[in-house]
Amino acid sequence: MEDIHIEGSKGVYIVPTVHFDAKTGICEISGESFLEETARFYNPLIEWIKSYVKDASHIQFIFKLTYFNTSTSKWILSILNELKMFEKNGGKAEIKWYYHEEDLDMRDDIQDYVVDTGLSIQLLPFE
Amino acid sequence: MSENTNNEKSMLDNISISYTGMFDTEVLSVLAKDIEGTLSSDEKVNKKVFKIFIELAQNISLYSLERAKSATGEDMGIGTMIIREFDDCFEFSTGNKTTMENIIPVMEKCDNINSMSREKLREYRRLQRNMPAGEKGGGNIGLIQVALTADNPIEYGLIKCSEDEYFYIVNVRINKEQPSEKKTLCKTPKKSTINE
Repeated sequence: MEDIHIEGSKGVYIVPTVHFDAKTGICEISGESFLEETARFYNPLIEWIKSYVKDASHIQFIFKLTYFNTSTSKWILSILNELKMFEKNGGKAEIKWYYHEEDLDMRDDIQDYVVDTGLSIQLLPFE
Repeated sequence: MSENTNNEKSMLDNISISYTGMFDTEVLSVLAKDIEGTLSSDEKVNKKVFKIFIELAQNISLYSLERAKSATGEDMGIGTMIIREFDDCFEFSTGNKTTMENIIPVMEKCDNINSMSREKLREYRRLQRNMPAGEKGGGNIGLIQVALTADNPIEYGLIKCSEDEYFYIVNVRINKEQPSEKKTLCKTPKKSTINE
């Protein structure tokens, strides 16, 4: 299974940085996300997760997103729903979400994802 | 709308950024950089204005009645945005042409959003997030996100331009003083206006 490596960029649109490691099961999305075609960007990530968890017992997901628009927010929910499904099927999803402590909007967002999915998400401050 | 909108001189004096034209992606990215980088010395406030800008500008791109083709051939909405700075807040305003038929559901949505507490709004956003993706953009979440980010009601107004055309104005205040902890908002939206 191939890794996914996407370097983020800030041009007309804002692309997040993505590192999904098939060997270690450590997946990280960082930066900011405001894309023209959100589905085209996030669908392959969802497919990767679906494929990875078929033969895995553990996955670690690290979010370091400091901004995402509402269109992206639906895709983040889709990713978390995949991880929830994985847990339902007996897998272990370890989820960490780094945020700036003064960013109360982001904290609310993460808490709402916890309510929505029932997943345990570890909130960690950026150092 | 704010009382300042009734005073043209004060309105012009307080403008930080203003733009009228096509809301195509190139222009949006320049405006976004200006907002994020130079609006105020408080990064937290700049980020809030930036987030509101992204959602409202996208609404103009997608839904403005007045349209033009961008350099890349994309069909884009035409509209106006103004950011004004006051002692205690920034006011972010957008305007675009619309029809009564198209705008009534949007105004109803604003009234609904303005009637909700912060907790209710978060619940509403969760509900919308769980709905299948809409036909364009983020669907109904944009306005909810604007109200949550601003921590203030969404004010709106409508000016009749012709028999079928109206100019729809949205105005959102972003307080310069941001709380260190969020409390349930006491919402007192100013009366929205329809001017003929």
